[in-house]
Amino acid sequence: MNLNRLAWRNLWRRKRRTMITGFSVAFGVMLAVTFTGAGDYFYTRMIDAGASMGMGHVTIEAVDYHRAPSLKKRLQHVESLREKALQLPQVSDVMTRITGQAMFASASKSVGGMFIAVDPAQENSENNLFIRSIIEGSMLSSPEGRNIIVGSKLAQKLHLRMGKKVVYTTTDVHGEIVSAIARVSGIFETGISEVDGAMAMLPIHSVQKVLGYQVDEATLLGIILKDQRFSKSMRDKLAAMPLYSKAEVLSWQQSQPELAGMIAVDKSSNYISQLLIGLLVAAGILNTMLMSVLERTREFGVMMAVGMAPGALFRLIMLESFWLAVIGLIAGIIITIPWYIYMANTGIDLSGAYGDDFNFAGVLLDPVMKIRLFQESIVAILLGLFTLALAAGAYPAWRAGRIPPVESLKTI
Amino acid sequence: MTDQNNKHDTHSPLNAAVQHPIVRLSDVCKTYEQGKVRVNAVHDVSLDIQHGDFAALCGPSGSGKTSLLNLIGGLDVSSSGTVIVDGIDLATIDGSELSEVRKNRIGFVFQSYNLIPVMTAYENAAFVLNLQGVDETECRDRVMATLKAVGLEGLEKRRPDEMSGGQQQRVAIARAIVTEPAIVLADEPTANVDSHTAESLLDLMEQLNRQQGVTFLFSTHDQHVMDRARRIIQMHDGKVASDHAQAG
Ligand SMILES: Nc1ncnc2c1ncn2[C@@H]1O[C@H](COP(=O)(O)OP(=O)(O)OP(=O)(O)O)[C@@H](O)[C@H]1O
Ligand SMILES: [Mg+2]
Repeated sequence: MNLNRLAWRNLWRRKRRTMITGFSVAFGVMLAVTFTGAGDYFYTRMIDAGASMGMGHVTIEAVDYHRAPSLKKRLQHVESLREKALQLPQVSDVMTRITGQAMFASASKSVGGMFIAVDPAQENSENNLFIRSIIEGSMLSSPEGRNIIVGSKLAQKLHLRMGKKVVYTTTDVHGEIVSAIARVSGIFETGISEVDGAMAMLPIHSVQKVLGYQVDEATLLGIILKDQRFSKSMRDKLAAMPLYSKAEVLSWQQSQPELAGMIAVDKSSNYISQLLIGLLVAAGILNTMLMSVLERTREFGVMMAVGMAPGALFRLIMLESFWLAVIGLIAGIIITIPWYIYMANTGIDLSGAYGDDFNFAGVLLDPVMKIRLFQESIVAILLGLFTLALAAGAYPAWRAGRIPPVESLKTI
Repeated sequence: MTDQNNKHDTHSPLNAAVQHPIVRLSDVCKTYEQGKVRVNAVHDVSLDIQHGDFAALCGPSGSGKTSLLNLIGGLDVSSSGTVIVDGIDLATIDGSELSEVRKNRIGFVFQSYNLIPVMTAYENAAFVLNLQGVDETECRDRVMATLKAVGLEGLEKRRPDEMSGGQQQRVAIARAIVTEPAIVLADEPTANVDSHTAESLLDLMEQLNRQQGVTFLFSTHDQHVMDRARRIIQMHDGKVASDHAQAG
């Protein structure tokens, strides 16, 4: 009889214990999938939401703009820059935008804020938080014209309603103060008060005229990637292209350092949870294998007395841990699949517990907790738990072969 | 490891007389230190076990029977003196070579719990042959023949917990002899069975000894068992008190 079959049979000597340990491994898989999946989903949502606030996953902007924003600094030939970026395989969309500070004034009041000037033909609600947050009126229909879409709190402060006039004042390409008049054609509400109280969206060609920009000049190109995880490599790739040598290329981590910092902190606490899950699984296997080794001292003594080498005994116990881990992982996959499908599609609605204002580092969140695993996370979980299980089996296996048979034969 | 003794020669009764003894002990001591107390479990023992012996190691509890068997079986190493088994000086070889000696040249039968519970009678009997790497068909032939010889035909698929104590000891004997070892060492093989079963186990051992030439050295403190031996080695306080032949 080979070692493998012997190991398998030994595992079923104590069915209950094996099943309980197997289940704890399975439960570990489920927990690890939930934690990792929640992280993978949550961070992606966060990053995508952050990207839709204007900068994209990767930003191409005028040199030094983000360190000292000024409307004097601008990108040139944005149309050709945009065309080239759109051709890259990882890029899903590129939007040309002008952003800057402005004073907004109504008949009754004036308030300082920010504007983002866009070309409606390039925008969609997926890539633009303000469009998908419109609660009154509608999105700009043209890059020309005098329409403006304002945040709900800004509208409140200025006592604005649909159709009312606003004057926005800013500095132009030469640093001169300029102003223009616009008419409220929409109101958005993102749920983030700093944004709703300060932001307005304007048609890009009108703003270019006001600022004295050429038609192919803008502040930045916001690049939306098919997968946010490639933002850093994409940044490096773009930065290395001669075409963008007169521009600055930023990943979302650079353009939104606050969000990046929060995610890093959250990730590290997630890693700690993962580590605890791993330790739990390893402790279960260690305990089971150690008990099972200790209660078989006599048996191992007989086996070694009749000529089994300690190394073979070590392999036997390792094989038992191996099969225990395999059983646990398979059971884990079986119980996790339906849970994963549910959590990936339906999720758990947390709005009851936390209220509607779900705001993380200034980025609005969907109050439904869902999970989504990256492929490499699946591999990491299964491989990680498997390795831990084998590592936990190593000590009992080593113990088993170490007691000299003269000693172990004395026990019963 | 030297292998000057070809197995078949050692087992051939014709050559037995010209071969070395299977076991040669010279001035063997085994001392255990228990704190400050030194116990001479085996004290200056010299004796030979010849091919074909059917010898009983007797003596009161604590007289050193198990200790001596462990030394001969390569389970323990002597404190001094030489132990030569099948031509090999056990003091000159390392742990893994000792393991090889046990696997290839010695058969072991213990008092109880000899068998691996998850294995059938067949698998238990085949255990050492598998360790030796004997191929499937040869292993099968030898195990089936041996199980038949020990009277377990038809019980091959039984697990230990489905067999009586006597049947389990028969499986242990089968496992010990199926490899055709130079000697079978049995430490109180009948101590855990009733006297009737003990008799039949002795019948079996005696028959294997007479018909197949298996050399047995077994320990006991049971007078009935002693009566069946053809050689009695009496121990006392770690020493051999007497060593004589008797009619079997
Ligand atoms: N590992 C050990 N450590 C210390 N002393 C030991 C050890 N093993 C045996 N002894 C001592 O050596 C002596 C001989 O023991 P041994 O087990 O060989 O006797 P025995 O004849 O087999 O006895 P029994 O008939 O009870 O089995 C005893 O005094 C025992 O206490
Ligand atoms: Mg004893």
